[in-house]
Amino acid sequence: MRATWDIFCSVVDNYGDIGVTWRLARQLVAEHGLAVRLWLDDMPAFVRLCPQADPQRPTQKQQGVEVRHWPVDWLPVEPADVVIEAFACQLPQSYITAMAAREQKVLWLNLEYLSAEAWVAGCHALPSLQAGGLSKFFFFPGFTAGTGGLLRERDLIAQRQAFQTDAQARHAFLRSVGVSLPAGARLISLFAYENTALASWLDALASSDQATLLLVPEGRILNDLHAWLDGPALQVGAVRQRGQLHIQVLPFLSQEQYDQLLWSCDFNAVRGEDSFVRAQWAGRPLLWHIYQQADDAHLEKLDAFLAIYQAGLSEGAQAALVNLWHAWNQGGSVAQSWNQLLQHGPELSAHADAWALQQASQVDLAAALVQFYLNWL
Amino acid sequence: MKTAQEMKPNSVALIDGHPWLIQKAEFTKSGRNSAIVKMKLKNLINGSKTETVYKADDKMEPVILERKEVNLSYISGDDYVFMDPEFNSYELRAEDLESVLPFIEEGMNDVCEAVFFEGKVISVDLPTTIVRQLAYTEGSARGDTSGKVMKPAKLSNGTEVKVADFCEIGDWIEIDTRTGEYKSRAKAPA
Repeated sequence: MRATWDIFCSVVDNYGDIGVTWRLARQLVAEHGLAVRLWLDDMPAFVRLCPQADPQRPTQKQQGVEVRHWPVDWLPVEPADVVIEAFACQLPQSYITAMAAREQKVLWLNLEYLSAEAWVAGCHALPSLQAGGLSKFFFFPGFTAGTGGLLRERDLIAQRQAFQTDAQARHAFLRSVGVSLPAGARLISLFAYENTALASWLDALASSDQATLLLVPEGRILNDLHAWLDGPALQVGAVRQRGQLHIQVLPFLSQEQYDQLLWSCDFNAVRGEDSFVRAQWAGRPLLWHIYQQADDAHLEKLDAFLAIYQAGLSEGAQAALVNLWHAWNQGGSVAQSWNQLLQHGPELSAHADAWALQQASQVDLAAALVQFYLNWL
Repeated sequence: MKTAQEMKPNSVALIDGHPWLIQKAEFTKSGRNSAIVKMKLKNLINGSKTETVYKADDKMEPVILERKEVNLSYISGDDYVFMDPEFNSYELRAEDLESVLPFIEEGMNDVCEAVFFEGKVISVDLPTTIVRQLAYTEGSARGDTSGKVMKPAKLSNGTEVKVADFCEIGDWIEIDTRTGEYKSRAKAPA
């Protein structure tokens, strides 16, 4: 009998939470043969990630995952063997009651956000004693041993490496999203929240000696991009040029397409959690726009990642990386730090690839969850 | 009901019908993660211990505990004996005093509070502010007198604290026992 898993996701904003849980659900089905129900409280958001889904249907099978609408008025269901509340979302009380009443014990997990901070390993996999004889375990993704690892499909690195060594594959993908790469141009992807630092980066790219094609999937950064470009509103497919900088707005991409975009680019600016992790698997230098929090709590998290990521880089490359990431996340001018970073381009590229392979040598998040369940049984 | 964040060391929460002594509580908030409190708990019925994590806003049911003023009488190995004004003595193991142990030392005259659950002493609380003498610290490195530059120091029981750069060996200092942090230089207790 296959173990049954319920994953609950409350879509807060953007597509990060739902992106992670959709990716996890598919992997648990495809690689571990599990029966997974994914409960989502925002079906239209899901349709953006899975266009073949029907937002009106409360229950549907997509890529082996039973996707269920999580209604405000909860209807009782039999709890699964394993229950994941993603990112500390609040499960329906009657579902919790049913978990406690279930004859066969239920493993209850709170899947937390990703952080490189040192305290994560100390809290990972600890229980939280609850009423009804239940324990809820906190499961923290992470970059080091003692954490839950990162989401990574079994053959992801091999697929990426094959793609990156096949120039035809890259061109075919770019063509499929309407992109024609100017000869000799550097290719950069941009996915970010609103950011006052953007104008300074665009200025630097426009005045560079080398041409750049900046690919921007539609999203929250478009207003800042439009403000810098001026002129008519930016629509999907829009192509603009200023100086050495060519800009093209891409449609919202599927997760598979977005991976290929990251693999295709020489440099990727990403945001939040899901695209941040995928950019690391791409093995290319990256710039992270972290989700901003009150009291600058996010900056400690940013620095915690930088502290482990920069290990092994030369002093100059470390400084360039840290300066650029700090400026980008604090809304300052990035022109100087960007130019500084370019001087260390080959070193940073090699480092990004080595980092991806090092991280890929650790157990991935889905496998860690499955193993945790088996150990718990 | 209180939130997990409001539950302090040496308080007792009723969890799923069982009284659990909170021996240690560390609050963490970072980035987008939910604020959490990592706790060391001791079951007051069967003595079992566990490390747990709660969301900071999880609700917990506090147990009202009896408290009585006591002073440290003596230390014998891992046994700590306290005495109340009526000369009743109460013996606790070091493991029962985890949250305050760094600041307990022979000869201290702080008026503490013994904490009782169903008539049995389960722990001891120290005053919020205590005065201790520095057994060791390096000399002032920068000659700073503002109190903003800190350096490591040791109390006579070996506990390490960060103190102002101008503090010297033999100085008395005030410590906040809730945070374990140095507050200021102090006069020697009378």
